[in-house]
Amino acid sequence: MLETALKILNQKLPADSAEAHCDGPCGVYDPASARIAAEAGLSMTKKILALAPPEGNDGAAWAAYLNTVSRYVAIKEEQTHIAKEELLVLWTDYFKPHHLEAYPDLHDIFWKAAKLCSYVKVEVNLAHAEEMMETIEKIHNIFWATKGREVAYYTAS
Amino acid sequence: MTERAVHESGRPVRRCRPSDLLLWLLGKRIRVRVSGDSMAPTLTDGDHVLVIPSDEAEIGDLVLCKHPYRQDIRIIKRVSDTTSDGLTLVGDNASQSTDSTSFGTVPWSRLIGRICAQM
Repeated sequence: MLETALKILNQKLPADSAEAHCDGPCGVYDPASARIAAEAGLSMTKKILALAPPEGNDGAAWAAYLNTVSRYVAIKEEQTHIAKEELLVLWTDYFKPHHLEAYPDLHDIFWKAAKLCSYVKVEVNLAHAEEMMETIEKIHNIFWATKGREVAYYTAS
Repeated sequence: MTERAVHESGRPVRRCRPSDLLLWLLGKRIRVRVSGDSMAPTLTDGDHVLVIPSDEAEIGDLVLCKHPYRQDIRIIKRVSDTTSDGLTLVGDNASQSTDSTSFGTVPWSRLIGRICAQM
């Protein structure tokens, strides 16, 4: 009798909620956000390396070149910083001590990934950019393993 | 009556009694709906519970607190430790919980009360 009454009450008059969310009240974790930003950093690194300066002293050509380089550098700075922030949030907010027991090198992997984001941000270094992506792929694999899900790693470009 | 599984780290949440309902109607209990599964299997998404307003809690208690950083959000967690600085809160579903391992100790001033019954 009481059980039935409570069931009806809860259905007809739900109370205000209190959060017991799986990943906090803010939302969802996914290393994809770091991967996308890091990919932009890799892409900008490639574009900067592929960009040839104009020959001669054509002012318009140089202006266009410098404008393009500046834009590439600005995007590389911005996106690799975003990638680092996304990784740090994932590292410090999602991962827990019991994950570390299963993946003892977790801290090293994240520390390395964050450092590589910094390297890609300040340098124009394709090797570091590719290593950054490889490290993020490791994080992707660990993250989804902790969720018990098989999510294939992919890149947008 | 179906008994809900209870996490080994804490006390069970007993079922609601008529006296609990009466106290709720008299404004002596807070009724809240659980959103999310960080307290599973003890409490799952959509469960309703009653809370005794209190400024005290012990290790093992399920508590309702204001989020340490967000004024508009209340959270339900289990107390794993208490100090003079505040409460250490954890989710029973440790692999899927954001708790004191992320946001640190929650000050006593953020405690609203203890969960006393499940409706």
